[in-house]
Amino acid sequence: MNKAKFKSITSNGILKNNPTLRLVLGTCPTLALTASAFNAVGMGVAIIFILTLSNTIISLLRKIIPDEVRIPAYVMIIATLVTIVRMFLEKFIPTLYEAFGVFLPLIVVNCVILARAESFASKNPVLDSALDGFSTGIGCAIAMGIIGIIREILGSGSFFGIKLYDFRIEFFTSPAGAFFVYGLTIAAFNATYKAVENYIHKKNFALQLKELTKEAK
Amino acid sequence: MTLKEFLKSKTFICIVVLLVIALVCGGLLAIMNDLLAVTEEEKMQRAIKKIYGGNVDYEEIAVAEEYKTNEFGSVDGVYAFKDGNYLIKTTGGKGFQGGTVTLWIVAEYKDGAFEGFKSVAVDSYEKQTLMSSFDDNFTGVYSSDRSDRGVKEGKNFGLQNSDNEIGNIVSGATRTSNAFNNAVNAALYYIRNVLEGGK
Repeated sequence: MNKAKFKSITSNGILKNNPTLRLVLGTCPTLALTASAFNAVGMGVAIIFILTLSNTIISLLRKIIPDEVRIPAYVMIIATLVTIVRMFLEKFIPTLYEAFGVFLPLIVVNCVILARAESFASKNPVLDSALDGFSTGIGCAIAMGIIGIIREILGSGSFFGIKLYDFRIEFFTSPAGAFFVYGLTIAAFNATYKAVENYIHKKNFALQLKELTKEAK
Repeated sequence: MTLKEFLKSKTFICIVVLLVIALVCGGLLAIMNDLLAVTEEEKMQRAIKKIYGGNVDYEEIAVAEEYKTNEFGSVDGVYAFKDGNYLIKTTGGKGFQGGTVTLWIVAEYKDGAFEGFKSVAVDSYEKQTLMSSFDDNFTGVYSSDRSDRGVKEGKNFGLQNSDNEIGNIVSGATRTSNAFNNAVNAALYYIRNVLEGGK
């Protein structure tokens, strides 16, 4: 894999096609599990693990799995990975396992994972697919982490469980607060992304103009 | 279609591929299940830690066959703590879709007399889809002063306050609330009929 491809895949997953903040996919766990930063990051890590492995396995089997049965085959693979993560969390991090509740098994039908399997892993080589899964997972985890941190600081007055102050606005721990923070984070991310994109575009345009004037002279 | 044609057909390939994936996934899960299974002892220690905030010495009490089930649910285990309190694991029935809720309940004793419930924690559940609605506010009712008074008056827990029942309900999750109350009532039944000797 060359450097340009590596850069393209990683920036796609984390920034350009960030599943949570740009494509607005996987909204259910994002809204439900971000009342605390620890839960949000925990879910993000689970998604990174499942997405990387599912993309790798699906890419490995892409020439074996017939097109007609690709979806049930993907679901079986993803369900197995989710079940392994569930068992691991239940054994070693029971608090996180309990906090995830029904949203952990629901990762099986998480549209981020199915979308990457269908649109990328089933058409690309193993290494590219693994990197795509990893960077998309990182994008998801960062977004969930940011939302989780904001909601926990404002809603519970703490940061990763460490008490900062007694003041708290309960609205931010409620579902309405989740939508509010999620919406504002999307707006802030997209505004920043567009501003950076415009800046790069203008810079490139100025460079091209400079070169053209040089050539004209 | 001849057998040879069928064996070369897309349908057969699809079936074989799906079966192989299912078998490999199933095998992997069976191995992982053996490696990562949570033992009963671990579950017990976790329940104690959750309720007491640390490990406490306990002794398991054998539940007589006739008291293992009652009209509310089942008594799955009883443990006597060194501090005089009891830990009771019960399963309450008649929840959402006929499912169950299994709880760990600490019965508080002072000078050998039952005072009420110290705390209630969820162990597991079946078929209940709204468990996330049941927070500390709901389970806290079982250990409130109001409940302690009601329990001493011989009341059970129910969906509405009445002469015979102490109301505890999550609106919109009535059936699951019912399973919770039944699990606590199953413990109450055991306490009144066995630990209290029928008082």
